[in-house]
Amino acid sequence: MRRLLNPVALLSVLVLAVTLVAVIWPALLAPYDPFDSVGTARLEPPSWDHLFGTDALARDVFSRVVHGARLSLLAAVLATTAGAVLGALIGLVSGAAGGRVDFAVMRVVDVMLAIPGILLALIVVASLGFGAVSIAIGVGLGATGSFARVMRAQVMRVRNEEYIEAARTMGLRRPTILLRHVLPNASKPIVAMASTELALAILAVSALSFLGFGAQPPTPEWGSLVSDGRQFIATAPWLSIMPGSVILVVVLAVNGVARNLGGNR
Amino acid sequence: MRFVAPKVLQALFVVWATYTVTFLLIHALPGDPVLAALAVRAGDAATTDPEVLDALRAQYGLDGSVLHQYVTHFLALFRGDLGVSMATGYEVSDMVARALPKTAAVAALALALGFAGALSFTIAAYLARPHWLRSTISQIPPLGIAIPAFLTGVVLISVFSFQLGWFPASGANGFSSIVLPAITLSLPTGAVFYQVFSAAVFEAGDAGFVRTAQAKGLSQPVVIGRHILRNAVLPAITIIGIQIGYLAGGTAVVETVFSRDGIGRITVDAVLARDINVVTGVVMVVAVIYAVTTMIVDLLYGVLDPRIRTRVAAKPRARATTPAGGADA
Amino acid sequence: MSDVPVLKVTDLHVTYGSGAARHHAVRGVDLELAAGRILAVVGESGSGKSTVANAVLGLLPDGARRTEGTVEVDGIELTALRERALRRLRGDVVGFVPQDPSRSLNPVLRIGEQIAEALRRHTGASRANAASRAIEILDEVGIPDPERRARQYPHELSGGLRQRVLIGIAWACTPQIVVADEPTSALDVTVQRHVLDRMESLRAAHGTAVLLITHDLAVAADRADDIVVMQQGIIVESGPAAEVLAAPQHEYTRALVAAAPGLHSARLRPRAEVTAVTADASGTPLLSARGLVKTYPGDGGSGAVHAVTGVDLEIRRRETFSIVGESGSGKSTTARMIARIIDADSGEIRFDGEELSAMEGERLRRFRRYIQVVFQNPVGSLDPRMSVEKLVTEPLRAGGTMSRRQRAATAAELLDQVRLGPEHLERRPAQLSGGQAQRVAIARALAVRPELLVLDEPVSALDVSVQEQVLQLLVDLQAEHGLTYLFISHDLAVVRQISDSIAVMSQGAIVERGPAAQVLEAPGTAYTRELISAIPGAAVTA
Repeated sequence: MRRLLNPVALLSVLVLAVTLVAVIWPALLAPYDPFDSVGTARLEPPSWDHLFGTDALARDVFSRVVHGARLSLLAAVLATTAGAVLGALIGLVSGAAGGRVDFAVMRVVDVMLAIPGILLALIVVASLGFGAVSIAIGVGLGATGSFARVMRAQVMRVRNEEYIEAARTMGLRRPTILLRHVLPNASKPIVAMASTELALAILAVSALSFLGFGAQPPTPEWGSLVSDGRQFIATAPWLSIMPGSVILVVVLAVNGVARNLGGNR
Repeated sequence: MRFVAPKVLQALFVVWATYTVTFLLIHALPGDPVLAALAVRAGDAATTDPEVLDALRAQYGLDGSVLHQYVTHFLALFRGDLGVSMATGYEVSDMVARALPKTAAVAALALALGFAGALSFTIAAYLARPHWLRSTISQIPPLGIAIPAFLTGVVLISVFSFQLGWFPASGANGFSSIVLPAITLSLPTGAVFYQVFSAAVFEAGDAGFVRTAQAKGLSQPVVIGRHILRNAVLPAITIIGIQIGYLAGGTAVVETVFSRDGIGRITVDAVLARDINVVTGVVMVVAVIYAVTTMIVDLLYGVLDPRIRTRVAAKPRARATTPAGGADA
Repeated sequence: MSDVPVLKVTDLHVTYGSGAARHHAVRGVDLELAAGRILAVVGESGSGKSTVANAVLGLLPDGARRTEGTVEVDGIELTALRERALRRLRGDVVGFVPQDPSRSLNPVLRIGEQIAEALRRHTGASRANAASRAIEILDEVGIPDPERRARQYPHELSGGLRQRVLIGIAWACTPQIVVADEPTSALDVTVQRHVLDRMESLRAAHGTAVLLITHDLAVAADRADDIVVMQQGIIVESGPAAEVLAAPQHEYTRALVAAAPGLHSARLRPRAEVTAVTADASGTPLLSARGLVKTYPGDGGSGAVHAVTGVDLEIRRRETFSIVGESGSGKSTTARMIARIIDADSGEIRFDGEELSAMEGERLRRFRRYIQVVFQNPVGSLDPRMSVEKLVTEPLRAGGTMSRRQRAATAAELLDQVRLGPEHLERRPAQLSGGQAQRVAIARALAVRPELLVLDEPVSALDVSVQEQVLQLLVDLQAEHGLTYLFISHDLAVVRQISDSIAVMSQGAIVERGPAAQVLEAPGTAYTRELISAIPGAAVTA
């Protein structure tokens, strides 16, 4: 009960709820069209009319940030899901099989972990081309290794628990033990980890989009919005800082929820 | 020697495996790298003349069978030959060699700042009383990993370059130009150090031997320095290799923000030009640095941790508490 | 020896946490301890005995607060001192011997240095003097080859030696008082005896007052001049050791004395209301093993570990066959081979005439119902996600599915057998006490009506009073169902309470075997004699 009253968690859930609205129905939150200029007011500082100011083409930056949520977040969710499912599968097989299979699989995973996630994503983007989907694939691939690692460690841990030995002496079949005892007890940390990884994925996706590998203009995306504002940093720093801060807030909100899922560790 | 040889083999393995994974990724994913690179350079006007394409493939080392490419490129690595850039025509190794020192300076400072910052926060959190102060302090470092590097960079430039004018906003001239990029990179680095550090310190703080040290009546600095930190630094050292990986990735963003022509910038430009040869080259250089660092850290760990040192040097002792061991004792 | 107390605790209250989670761990404790005497504080987990020790050291853990009362050491009021002054007192006037020697020495500092740093701090000795004095201290606590040991690291010493080093640290500056918090509960009995002997001789040599915290009434009986019994933060009884043990006044003390395995030599009998199945006199053993061998390959540079080096044994129907031995003796490995949890490298196991060791696959799986296992760690052997109802009926899944109602009825019946009420059916392992969890594990083992129960240290993780209840339950169940037990334990005192036959294992082999009475009363080997004489509580039973 106390957990529900935790103000950090409450605030995080609230932020995520608003973000979800932006993803599903951006027009509800965005006061202006993200692609059209709202008059002649270029590079205006934030005001009540334009919460995040306007950009060089006199477009409302807040509306562009709201509309950018969909592509940025879907790519991050796709990346995390792909990484988690693939990684958990690899880890489960590796941990359950043991022996040589385990050894071989884990060496491959070691290498995936050795290559920094963002470089792995860059290789993928360089060969696959630009856009949100290749970014998502790249980031997801980068996360696969650590999911596999954690899942395997969990499977190994659970396999050595006395209750697994007890299940064997009861005469249960191997698949029964794997499905009824090992998998459920091993996957809990994966769920908690997926929420932490989602925050990292949002950062990675927006970094890649900041570098210019995402959707092409004028499609709004969080990272590219920051990048677009960079050339006016001396005169209109809010152009970059506002969208950047939104990313920060959403990442913190995801982390806030993740920490509660992970049992407040 | 028995201790060093496996570590060297391990480092070689990492390099080989990284090369293989990269190679497989590039060849398994759809698309022709030469065509892609030409399309970026020339748009729709790119040539489709098969003879010209073949000549280009040969020039960039992308001709012959897949197996042939796999072997020749790997062997070329040992000669320091990373191929030729498709976008610029320069030797990739030359491009990397020119950029590396600039990136290394930033990364080294970032590593040092992150380490020092994490250490200070850990000690502060450990000493902090009452409980709410401790938990507040320990909430701060994890923020470092949540802040997008481009946001940190933009804010730092906006405040320290344009408003205060203390540091240059861009370029790579002199020490003052590496301060802001290093601070930017040190936040996530420090956050990761802090995670490992604080876990180790709080674990050590709960450990029996710290109670023993306190029960001896040792002074606070001695308990923290000799008993807690000495044990907590060991796990922090092991992640330096991983940190270098993070830094290599982080430089891509930071060097873009601060317009520095380092490794990160080369990589970004190469990806933008779909220049596979440069991307592969950079990945391999990072892999070598990672492998060598990890090897050194492993060897260092063997020297620093007596538990590993003696395991290597001597035969294992008899079982801990056999009655014989108790009786002779 | 003067009668002026060097330690005086008056009306001590300690609480943990705050608000709703506040827990009053120590509620008004008074203690007096004179120079040269040993005062044992005895209690089960949660009694507050360790908190008292911490308070005397001025080292209460985070979140714990002394709310009332005073602690006086050598006339100095500790509670009035600032932390800096306390630090000067600790190690100098008050020494400390911790519970777990394997975790209580700094793994990255040399042994000698860990003693020397205390000397430098309190006696102002120079580096060289402290180092040479540290070697003398190692010699004093009975560590052979002290020069070499001083240069070693903790992991190079056995548990017993490490505990001696810690005793050396505690006595390094010849303190007035030494607080020993369960100093031997992590050690084997023979090592325990040596360590306690060493503490007693140091006490005698220096006239130190010793505050001995222990869960083991028998240890207190052997070693202490006075005993204080704590329950839920309160002292329920105190007095000279002999008096407290001979004529316990408080109900709880009487229960503890009655339950303490070390203080009783008799085997437990089934309770009167249990209808026993008549014993089987037929000669064929239920289980026999020949030449069991298990070797674990060493990792890296270390050699292979010969865990079991050729064990033969025969277990007759409806008897309790116990294997007793210290850690590393191979007793658990033997039990696990017999239960087919691990495979023997060589040797033969026959169960009821069939060759169990040759069974594989489906045949083995079906056969498993005849041999069930109860593990040491009761909570760990239960899947944390499952309800008790699912847990106890799970073995029946192998024999086909049941309806919901059938399952609930079966589960309630099984719980009833282990004297647990149906209200436990919906609980999860984390909501059970250690004793309850072990009962659930026993109920689960009984579900498939096995013939042999392998009990691998089934009570060693439990408090003594619970231990006694579980042992009694096992004895009752054996009579009711005609079960055969293979009982594994490090604790001869427990083994004495339950066994018909005993095998003593050491270094992978059985060194002595026979009927329980014969092995215990007329041991044939020096090793068994040493084990028996090391059982604490001899002072009372003799």
